Amino acid sequence: MKLYVYCLAEDVDEPSNSLRGVAGEPVRRLDAGNFSVLVSDFAAEAVLVNQENAVAHAEVVQSVLTQTTPLPFRFGTLVTEQQLESYLSARREALESKLGSVRGCVEMSVKIIADPDSSEASGPNNNPQTPGTAFLSEKRREILGSETRAAEAKRVASWLEDRIGEVVRETRINTNPTDKLILAAAHLVKREKVPEYRTRLAEARHERPELHFLTSGPWAPYSFANIDLEFKTQFGVS
Amino acid sequence: MSSPFDQIIITESGESLEESELSLLETLDHVLNRGLVIAGEITISVADIDLIFLGLNVMLSSVETAQEVLRRREQKSE
Repeated sequence: MKLYVYCLAEDVDEPSNSLRGVAGEPVRRLDAGNFSVLVSDFAAEAVLVNQENAVAHAEVVQSVLTQTTPLPFRFGTLVTEQQLESYLSARREALESKLGSVRGCVEMSVKIIADPDSSEASGPNNNPQTPGTAFLSEKRREILGSETRAAEAKRVASWLEDRIGEVVRETRINTNPTDKLILAAAHLVKREKVPEYRTRLAEARHERPELHFLTSGPWAPYSFANIDLEFKTQFGVS
Repeated sequence: MSSPFDQIIITESGESLEESELSLLETLDHVLNRGLVIAGEITISVADIDLIFLGLNVMLSSVETAQEVLRRREQKSE
Protein backbone atom coordinates (compact mmCIF):
# COMPACT_ATOMS: atom_id res chain seq x y z
CA MET A 1 0.00 0.00 0.00
CA LYS A 2 1.38 3.37 -0.99
CA LEU A 3 0.48 6.91 -0.06
CA TYR A 4 -0.54 9.55 -2.54
CA VAL A 5 0.83 12.81 -1.16
CA TYR A 6 -0.84 16.20 -1.72
CA CYS A 7 0.90 18.76 0.40
CA LEU A 8 2.89 19.46 3.50
CA ALA A 9 2.22 22.06 6.18
CA GLU A 10 3.19 22.83 9.74
CA ASP A 11 -0.22 23.08 11.27
CA VAL A 12 -3.34 21.97 9.54
CA ASP A 13 -6.73 20.67 10.63
CA GLU A 14 -7.83 17.10 10.07
CA PRO A 15 -9.46 17.16 6.60
CA SER A 16 -13.21 16.84 6.43
CA ASN A 17 -14.63 13.35 5.95
CA SER A 18 -16.35 14.42 2.78
CA LEU A 19 -13.11 15.57 1.10
CA ARG A 20 -12.21 13.21 -1.74
CA GLY A 21 -8.83 13.14 -3.39
CA VAL A 22 -7.23 11.41 -6.34
CA ALA A 23 -9.19 8.36 -7.55
CA GLY A 24 -12.02 9.36 -5.23
CA GLU A 25 -10.04 8.25 -2.16
CA PRO A 26 -10.63 9.86 1.22
CA VAL A 27 -7.93 12.22 2.45
CA ARG A 28 -6.27 11.97 5.85
CA ARG A 29 -3.63 13.81 7.79
CA LEU A 30 -0.38 12.13 8.64
CA ASP A 31 1.77 13.76 11.28
CA ALA A 32 5.53 13.35 11.26
CA GLY A 33 7.59 15.52 13.56
CA ASN A 34 6.51 19.11 13.12
CA PHE A 35 4.98 18.42 9.75
CA SER A 36 1.47 17.49 8.75
CA VAL A 37 1.06 15.86 5.37
CA LEU A 38 -2.23 15.28 3.59
CA VAL A 39 -2.33 11.85 1.99
CA SER A 40 -4.65 9.23 0.55
CA ASP A 41 -4.10 5.50 0.84
CA PHE A 42 -3.46 4.29 -2.65
CA ALA A 43 -3.46 0.69 -3.78
CA ALA A 44 -2.56 1.04 -7.48
CA GLU A 45 1.01 1.26 -8.76
CA ALA A 46 0.55 4.50 -10.67
CA VAL A 47 -1.80 7.44 -10.78
CA LEU A 48 -3.90 7.94 -13.83
CA VAL A 49 -3.18 11.37 -15.28
CA ASN A 50 -6.60 12.71 -16.12
CA GLN A 51 -8.57 15.84 -15.58
CA GLU A 52 -10.53 14.46 -12.64
CA ASN A 53 -7.44 13.42 -10.72
CA ALA A 54 -5.53 16.62 -11.45
CA VAL A 55 -8.47 18.71 -10.29
CA ALA A 56 -8.87 16.54 -7.18
CA HIS A 57 -5.20 17.11 -6.32
CA ALA A 58 -5.66 20.87 -6.75
CA GLU A 59 -8.80 20.90 -4.62
CA VAL A 60 -7.19 19.09 -1.71
CA VAL A 61 -4.28 21.56 -1.78
CA GLN A 62 -6.69 24.46 -2.09
CA SER A 63 -8.62 23.28 0.98
CA VAL A 64 -5.45 23.69 3.02
CA LEU A 65 -4.62 27.07 1.51
CA THR A 66 -7.72 28.51 3.18
CA GLN A 67 -6.10 27.77 6.59
CA THR A 68 -2.40 28.07 6.01
CA THR A 69 0.16 28.08 3.20
CA PRO A 70 1.28 24.52 2.43
CA LEU A 71 4.05 23.24 0.19
CA PRO A 72 2.17 21.40 -2.55
CA PHE A 73 3.69 18.23 -3.96
CA ARG A 74 3.67 17.73 -7.67
CA PHE A 75 0.84 15.67 -9.08
CA GLY A 76 1.57 11.97 -8.99
CA THR A 77 3.71 11.70 -5.88
CA LEU A 78 3.32 8.13 -4.63
CA VAL A 79 5.51 6.86 -1.83
CA THR A 80 5.49 4.30 0.91
CA GLU A 81 4.94 5.60 4.41
CA GLN A 82 8.52 4.70 5.23
CA GLN A 83 9.89 6.60 2.22
CA LEU A 84 7.83 9.62 3.17
CA GLU A 85 9.03 9.56 6.76
CA SER A 86 12.65 9.21 5.82
CA TYR A 87 12.31 12.04 3.28
CA LEU A 88 10.73 14.29 5.91
CA SER A 89 13.39 13.58 8.49
CA ALA A 90 16.32 13.74 6.06
CA ARG A 91 15.15 17.05 4.54
CA ARG A 92 13.62 18.53 7.65
CA GLU A 93 15.73 21.68 7.73
CA ALA A 94 15.30 22.47 4.06
CA LEU A 95 11.56 21.88 4.25
CA GLU A 96 11.19 24.01 7.37
CA SER A 97 13.10 26.82 5.77
CA LYS A 98 11.01 26.50 2.60
CA LEU A 99 7.79 26.62 4.63
CA GLY A 100 9.17 29.68 6.40
CA SER A 101 9.86 31.41 3.10
CA VAL A 102 6.27 30.98 1.86
CA ARG A 103 4.56 31.54 5.21
CA GLY A 104 1.62 33.92 4.96
CA CYS A 105 1.99 34.10 1.19
CA VAL A 106 0.12 32.88 -1.87
CA GLU A 107 1.20 32.43 -5.45
CA MET A 108 -0.24 34.64 -8.16
CA SER A 109 0.24 33.74 -11.77
CA VAL A 110 0.64 36.06 -14.75
CA LYS A 111 0.99 34.97 -18.34
CA ILE A 112 1.50 37.61 -20.97
CA ILE A 113 0.31 36.58 -24.36
CA ALA A 114 1.32 37.88 -27.76
CA ASP A 115 -1.32 39.44 -29.94
CA PRO A 116 -3.02 36.64 -31.89
CA ASP A 117 -2.32 38.40 -35.21
CA SER A 118 1.39 38.78 -34.63
CA SER A 119 1.94 35.05 -34.40
CA GLU A 120 0.36 34.33 -37.79
CA ALA A 121 3.81 34.68 -39.34
CA SER A 122 4.59 31.23 -38.07
CA GLY A 123 2.62 29.91 -41.02
CA PRO A 124 -0.44 27.75 -41.46
CA ASN A 125 -0.39 24.89 -39.09
CA ASN A 126 -3.78 23.29 -39.41
CA ASN A 127 -2.73 19.82 -40.42
CA PRO A 128 -3.58 17.15 -37.95
CA GLN A 129 -0.27 16.33 -36.36
CA THR A 130 0.99 13.64 -34.15
CA PRO A 131 2.09 14.92 -30.76
CA GLY A 132 5.70 14.32 -31.79
CA THR A 133 5.45 16.39 -34.98
CA ALA A 134 3.59 19.15 -33.21
CA PHE A 135 6.25 19.21 -30.55
CA LEU A 136 9.08 19.41 -33.09
CA SER A 137 7.37 22.15 -35.15
CA GLU A 138 6.85 24.11 -31.99
CA LYS A 139 10.52 23.67 -31.12
CA ARG A 140 11.55 24.82 -34.58
CA ARG A 141 9.45 27.96 -34.32
CA GLU A 142 10.84 28.53 -30.89
CA ILE A 143 14.38 28.55 -32.18
CA LEU A 144 13.63 30.73 -35.19
CA GLY A 145 13.05 34.21 -33.96
CA SER A 146 13.84 33.24 -30.43
CA GLU A 147 16.37 36.05 -30.07
CA THR A 148 13.91 38.81 -30.92
CA ARG A 149 11.35 37.31 -28.62
CA ALA A 150 13.83 36.84 -25.82
CA ALA A 151 14.76 40.52 -26.03
CA GLU A 152 11.09 41.57 -26.01
CA ALA A 153 10.36 39.19 -23.12
CA LYS A 154 13.19 40.72 -21.11
CA ARG A 155 11.86 44.22 -21.71
CA VAL A 156 8.36 43.19 -20.68
CA ALA A 157 9.68 41.35 -17.62
CA SER A 158 11.64 44.32 -16.43
CA TRP A 159 8.68 46.64 -17.02
CA LEU A 160 6.43 44.30 -15.02
CA GLU A 161 9.00 44.05 -12.23
CA ASP A 162 9.15 47.82 -12.10
CA ARG A 163 5.37 48.11 -11.73
CA ILE A 164 4.61 45.38 -9.21
CA GLY A 165 8.01 44.45 -7.75
CA GLU A 166 7.33 46.29 -4.49
CA VAL A 167 4.42 44.07 -3.52
CA VAL A 168 6.04 40.83 -4.63
CA ARG A 169 8.18 38.83 -2.28
CA GLU A 170 9.69 36.45 -4.81
CA THR A 171 9.39 35.88 -8.55
CA ARG A 172 9.83 32.85 -10.79
CA ILE A 173 9.83 33.93 -14.35
CA ASN A 174 10.10 32.14 -17.64
CA THR A 175 10.92 34.64 -20.34
CA ASN A 176 11.50 32.18 -23.11
CA PRO A 177 8.50 29.94 -23.44
CA THR A 178 7.04 30.07 -27.00
CA ASP A 179 6.19 32.43 -29.81
CA LYS A 180 2.72 32.90 -28.35
CA LEU A 181 3.54 33.30 -24.74
CA ILE A 182 5.80 36.27 -24.06
CA LEU A 183 6.37 35.41 -20.46
CA ALA A 184 5.00 33.32 -17.64
CA ALA A 185 5.59 34.65 -14.15
CA ALA A 186 4.74 33.30 -10.74
CA HIS A 187 4.70 35.84 -7.93
CA LEU A 188 4.86 35.03 -4.26
CA VAL A 189 2.73 37.64 -2.53
CA LYS A 190 1.89 38.19 1.14
CA ARG A 191 -1.79 37.51 1.65
CA GLU A 192 -2.49 41.00 2.90
CA LYS A 193 -0.74 42.48 -0.14
CA VAL A 194 -2.91 40.65 -2.66
CA PRO A 195 -5.40 43.53 -3.11
CA GLU A 196 -2.56 45.97 -3.74
CA TYR A 197 -0.90 43.50 -6.08
CA ARG A 198 -4.12 43.33 -8.09
CA THR A 199 -4.49 47.08 -8.18
CA ARG A 200 -0.96 47.51 -9.44
CA LEU A 201 -1.36 44.79 -12.02
CA ALA A 202 -4.57 46.41 -13.24
CA GLU A 203 -2.75 49.74 -13.58
CA ALA A 204 0.10 48.08 -15.42
CA ARG A 205 -2.33 46.41 -17.83
CA HIS A 206 -3.91 49.77 -18.48
CA GLU A 207 -0.52 51.14 -19.51
CA ARG A 208 0.11 48.44 -22.11
CA PRO A 209 -3.19 47.68 -23.85
CA GLU A 210 -1.35 45.83 -26.64
CA LEU A 211 -0.38 43.06 -24.24
CA HIS A 212 -2.85 40.41 -23.19
CA PHE A 213 -2.80 39.09 -19.67
CA LEU A 214 -3.93 35.78 -18.31
CA THR A 215 -3.84 36.05 -14.56
CA SER A 216 -4.92 33.57 -11.95
CA GLY A 217 -4.66 33.03 -8.24
CA PRO A 218 -4.39 32.79 -5.38
CA TRP A 219 -2.62 29.44 -5.56
CA ALA A 220 -0.64 27.44 -3.08
CA PRO A 221 3.02 28.17 -3.85
CA TYR A 222 3.41 25.46 -6.52
CA SER A 223 6.24 27.36 -8.22
CA PHE A 224 8.09 28.04 -4.97
CA ALA A 225 7.85 24.64 -3.31
CA ASN A 226 10.91 22.81 -4.51
CA ILE A 227 13.91 22.38 -2.29
CA ASP A 228 15.91 20.54 -4.95
CA LEU A 229 16.29 20.90 -8.67
CA GLU A 230 15.06 24.48 -8.66
CA PHE A 231 16.53 25.20 -12.06
CA LYS A 232 15.40 22.00 -13.71
CA THR A 233 11.84 22.08 -12.47
CA GLN A 234 11.48 25.71 -13.35
CA PHE A 235 12.43 25.05 -16.93
CA GLY A 236 10.48 21.86 -17.30
CA VAL A 237 13.41 19.51 -17.56
CA SER A 238 13.80 16.63 -15.19
CA MET B 1 -15.58 21.59 -10.58
CA SER B 2 -15.38 24.50 -8.21
CA SER B 3 -12.92 26.99 -9.53
CA PRO B 4 -9.90 27.71 -7.37
CA PHE B 5 -9.81 31.19 -8.82
CA ASP B 6 -11.22 34.43 -7.87
CA GLN B 7 -10.09 36.12 -11.02
CA ILE B 8 -9.06 35.37 -14.54
CA ILE B 9 -8.40 38.32 -16.71
CA ILE B 10 -7.54 38.26 -20.34
CA THR B 11 -7.98 41.82 -21.44
CA GLU B 12 -8.34 45.29 -20.10
CA SER B 13 -12.08 45.10 -19.63
CA GLY B 14 -11.70 42.48 -16.93
CA GLU B 15 -14.25 40.20 -18.55
CA SER B 16 -13.70 36.56 -17.91
CA LEU B 17 -14.77 34.56 -20.89
CA GLU B 18 -14.32 30.83 -21.17
CA GLU B 19 -13.54 30.89 -17.53
CA SER B 20 -14.11 27.25 -16.81
CA GLU B 21 -11.87 26.10 -19.64
CA LEU B 22 -9.09 28.49 -18.78
CA SER B 23 -9.26 27.79 -15.09
CA LEU B 24 -8.98 24.09 -15.80
CA LEU B 25 -5.91 24.66 -17.97
CA GLU B 26 -4.34 26.91 -15.37
CA THR B 27 -5.02 24.25 -12.76
CA LEU B 28 -3.36 21.60 -14.90
CA ASP B 29 -0.39 23.88 -15.55
CA HIS B 30 0.18 24.31 -11.81
CA VAL B 31 -0.54 20.78 -10.70
CA LEU B 32 1.33 18.95 -13.47
CA ASN B 33 4.29 21.26 -14.03
CA ARG B 34 5.08 22.56 -10.59
CA GLY B 35 5.19 21.48 -7.00
CA LEU B 36 7.53 19.77 -4.61
CA VAL B 37 9.23 16.72 -6.06
CA ILE B 38 10.61 13.94 -3.93
CA ALA B 39 13.55 13.10 -6.15
CA GLY B 40 13.17 9.88 -8.01
CA GLU B 41 9.63 9.24 -6.92
CA ILE B 42 7.77 10.72 -9.85
CA THR B 43 7.44 8.30 -12.69
CA ILE B 44 4.07 8.65 -14.27
CA SER B 45 3.16 7.99 -17.80
CA VAL B 46 -0.12 7.76 -19.58
CA ALA B 47 -0.03 5.86 -22.85
CA ASP B 48 3.67 6.66 -23.20
CA ILE B 49 3.18 10.38 -22.90
CA ASP B 50 5.75 11.78 -20.59
CA LEU B 51 4.29 13.98 -17.89
CA ILE B 52 6.55 16.90 -18.71
CA PHE B 53 5.44 16.71 -22.32
CA LEU B 54 1.84 16.67 -21.18
CA GLY B 55 2.59 19.70 -19.05
CA LEU B 56 4.13 21.57 -21.97
CA ASN B 57 1.06 20.93 -24.07
CA VAL B 58 -1.16 22.16 -21.30
CA MET B 59 0.73 25.40 -21.16
CA LEU B 60 0.43 25.85 -24.92
CA SER B 61 -3.27 25.01 -24.80
CA SER B 62 -4.03 27.62 -22.20
CA VAL B 63 -2.33 30.24 -24.33
CA GLU B 64 -4.15 29.05 -27.42
CA THR B 65 -7.49 29.16 -25.64
CA ALA B 66 -6.81 32.70 -24.54
CA GLN B 67 -5.88 33.72 -28.09
CA GLU B 68 -9.02 32.10 -29.43
CA VAL B 69 -11.10 34.17 -27.03
CA LEU B 70 -9.34 37.32 -28.19
CA ARG B 71 -9.92 36.47 -31.84
CA ARG B 72 -13.59 35.81 -31.32
CA ARG B 73 -13.97 39.03 -29.47
CA GLU B 74 -12.28 40.99 -32.27
CA GLN B 75 -14.58 39.42 -34.82
CA LYS B 76 -17.60 40.39 -32.76
CA SER B 77 -16.49 43.98 -32.45
CA GLU B 78 -15.97 44.37 -36.20
